[in-house]
Amino acid sequence: MNEITLIVNGTPHRTRVSDSALLLDVLREQAGCTSVREGCGVGACGACTVLVGETSVSSCLALATRYDGANITTAEGLDENDDVVSAFADCGAAQCGYCIPGFVLMTRELLAEHPRPTSEQITEHLEGNICRCGTYPEIRTAVSTAAERRSPR
Amino acid sequence: MPETPEKTSRQDWVGGRRARYDALGRVRGVVGHVGDQPVGTCAHVAVHRSTQPHAAIRAVHTEEALAIDGVYAVVTGADLHKRFGEALLTGPAFADQPALAYDKVRFVGEPVAAVLAADLATAREAADAVYVEYDELDPVYDLDTALNGESYVHDELRPSAVFGDLRHLDGVRDTNINYEYRLRHGNPNKVSGARTVRGEFWAPPTHHVPIELPCTVAWVEGGRLEMLTTTQTPSYVRQTIADLLDLPLSRVRVTTRPLGGSFGAKMYDRLEPLAAALAWQFQRKVRLAASREEAFLLTTRHGAAITSTLTADAGGQLSAATADVAYDTGAYADVGPRITAKSGMVAPGPYRIGSVDVRSRCVYTNKPSAGPFRGFGVPQVTWSHESLIDELAHELGEDPYAFRREHLLREGDLAPMGTRMHSADFVGCLDAVAESISWDTQPDRGTGRIRRGRGVAVGVKAVLTPTIANAVLQLNQDASATLMISTVDMGQGSDTIMAQIVADVLRVDSRRVHVVRADTDVTPYDTITAGSRSTYHTGNAVRAVAESMRVRLLALAAEQPEQPEQHGQPERSGVDTGELDEERIAEIVHAHFGARGATLTTEANFTSSWSPYDKETGRSEKVTEHWFAGAVGVRLAVDTATGRVHLEHLAVAGDVGRAINPALVEQQLTGAAIMGIGHALFDQLVLDQGQLVNGTLLDYQLPSIRDLPDELTPIIVESPHDDGPFGAKGVGETGILAVAPAIGNAIRDAIGLRFTRLPMTPEAIVTALESR
Repeated sequence: MNEITLIVNGTPHRTRVSDSALLLDVLREQAGCTSVREGCGVGACGACTVLVGETSVSSCLALATRYDGANITTAEGLDENDDVVSAFADCGAAQCGYCIPGFVLMTRELLAEHPRPTSEQITEHLEGNICRCGTYPEIRTAVSTAAERRSPR
Repeated sequence: MPETPEKTSRQDWVGGRRARYDALGRVRGVVGHVGDQPVGTCAHVAVHRSTQPHAAIRAVHTEEALAIDGVYAVVTGADLHKRFGEALLTGPAFADQPALAYDKVRFVGEPVAAVLAADLATAREAADAVYVEYDELDPVYDLDTALNGESYVHDELRPSAVFGDLRHLDGVRDTNINYEYRLRHGNPNKVSGARTVRGEFWAPPTHHVPIELPCTVAWVEGGRLEMLTTTQTPSYVRQTIADLLDLPLSRVRVTTRPLGGSFGAKMYDRLEPLAAALAWQFQRKVRLAASREEAFLLTTRHGAAITSTLTADAGGQLSAATADVAYDTGAYADVGPRITAKSGMVAPGPYRIGSVDVRSRCVYTNKPSAGPFRGFGVPQVTWSHESLIDELAHELGEDPYAFRREHLLREGDLAPMGTRMHSADFVGCLDAVAESISWDTQPDRGTGRIRRGRGVAVGVKAVLTPTIANAVLQLNQDASATLMISTVDMGQGSDTIMAQIVADVLRVDSRRVHVVRADTDVTPYDTITAGSRSTYHTGNAVRAVAESMRVRLLALAAEQPEQPEQHGQPERSGVDTGELDEERIAEIVHAHFGARGATLTTEANFTSSWSPYDKETGRSEKVTEHWFAGAVGVRLAVDTATGRVHLEHLAVAGDVGRAINPALVEQQLTGAAIMGIGHALFDQLVLDQGQLVNGTLLDYQLPSIRDLPDELTPIIVESPHDDGPFGAKGVGETGILAVAPAIGNAIRDAIGLRFTRLPMTPEAIVTALESR
């Protein structure tokens, strides 16, 4: 067992984890972040996405011990007035919503890199996330809306 | 954000585009799903699965598994069979599926033993340590072997108690065909046709892959079996568990949370019978959580083979259609027999056709069981009839859009299966998509590497009938309301539109109407949340319960003496019963009970009826409560070097009667179309000798944002249903029916090749081009 500290949405969580513990399970079971979800267990659907610093990580493939001291953001850590969160809600970019936290975090990462992403940049950045309800048209609109809110022309 | 009261209320009522219930909670991921609920100390369950497609179980060795630290118990199918007897066999159409296999195994991956342990990792380790000895039996890998071979997946057929019309099949032996539906009208063999087209079509098995994985928690409290589970069918599950454990319904409680998608995957008997049996056997809390790889084995969409013909007479009228349909239902029938009949009856398509002959069969094989999937078997037969009529139009030198339009069923027409058409505007849907994709403008088909084409297709499906819906409405004294129904919101938006219906009737704010999550201790019986039935059936019950509340309020208002001093508006005193609003309702309820916070309760039922099929002809004058009509139009480009298909524009139209919430209807149409794009171009389960080859999301391809057409246009067509709530019908499946054939027809238009097998992968297209 290893003692590590994860800073989750600004709050330090000191916890004991085994060598093989996944970041996904530690965030869900010990930090209470159930917006982080297992959809495939192999890093192929994006439902378990978190931001470490400003970088997206598939937490279902990440060993928790490697993130000692890391600053981790999950979707429930974002304010309702956050540009991306409010854009997704206003654009109807959630049906069942199960996968949407992953899209929200990927969008934050995209906008940090490209404040005014092109259509192809949106596609490239989000194509690793699966929305089985097929909310992709609304997600596209939400990303553009968030970009506009974040850095108005 | 603040809105004017007038605008707020209108947007919140029927026809308004109000936002989905808890949109912000969904976006931030704070909606609590089943797997998110804390369960405290419990036994985590893992199952040992069969490595054989078809084999008798000689012995199950559990000693090594039991010796692992942290293992509470290991249970075999034989243990459960000894305890529960034949009740261990469950299923909606046939009671043929054991929670754990006990006499023989019927597919690779079938659960044989269950381990209960202190944590999931230990349970899985111990499940791997279970060792089973088998005596191999001849496997039935495909439809051909099943229909023509001498190995049988089941010794005899076992119809369940759910569908009375299957009773005659009880005890039938030496067959893999568990159900056959036959539709006969006129005599297609005696029709002298000017032109007949024929095809052998194949739609492969696919998987639903809702991103939320199935999870069930079961425990015993006060001699009752309680369960929290990911299900679309809480009322059905309660009955199944009561039958399995031989308990009165009052001693079984099934609760749900919002589902993270389902599409048919989480219904009927999935993890629930095993969870209930284990909780009851050991009188302790158990938690079953499927991994993605396990979820692939729980249920699938039926692969289907269809051999069909369509004939036009010398005058250009459709004179005959035939179809021989075989659904591969895998090792367990699930609801396959229902799928077989309900889609067999629409196999000729929504056209005026003189004579039809359809044989539709449900066939056991040694593969994972197939069950309900958005469309309920209809997309598979739509693939057949919409390819055939397209080909016939080409053969006759007719325009495929105009040819369909001429022959489509109209309001009042009798369909080939004998039921009249109402509120099914096929022509309106077809016209809408044709206009949207500018059908009249010929595509620039090209002569080089990139070829372009356009295609249309139409779909027809019956709503699940007969079914039962109940609603209980509790009106709170402050004019907010609490609606109790057993419809499960899994992303389709039922919690939102049911609140809109209540609010519209009572003239209150729909955001103050709360829909209680299905809980069989609290919410009344509802057949299932499936088959696009909830808007119409449960919506009717909800409208009725709100109307009943309105009548009740007006009666209470009439009883009350004038008390103008209470609100200072004498003209709106007790005897003025004409109008209700929130202020008035609060006054009426307060005056009646003399208390704040009091509640008024009403209840309502809506039940649909049908006429069973005639045994000889398969016809019925009312086979369904209503019809879904949909159409798809596509413009696309084919890269003849790579075989890749690029969708430039896809338009999808559905006749929904009346849109309760147009924004949610459009999302159902586009979401279904996107799922259909996967089925058309790449989505399929691959099995090799009964072994699932691509049952992980590394290997199983699903539509991503990259697969979106350049333009995707949802179109709402409204021809109100006489008996729908505000004229409305459902929409969950309408958009998926015609996607694959519309794309296939456009590919034919682009490169002149007719594909009959799905999916139309780049490899298939390149191979076909090279062998031309």
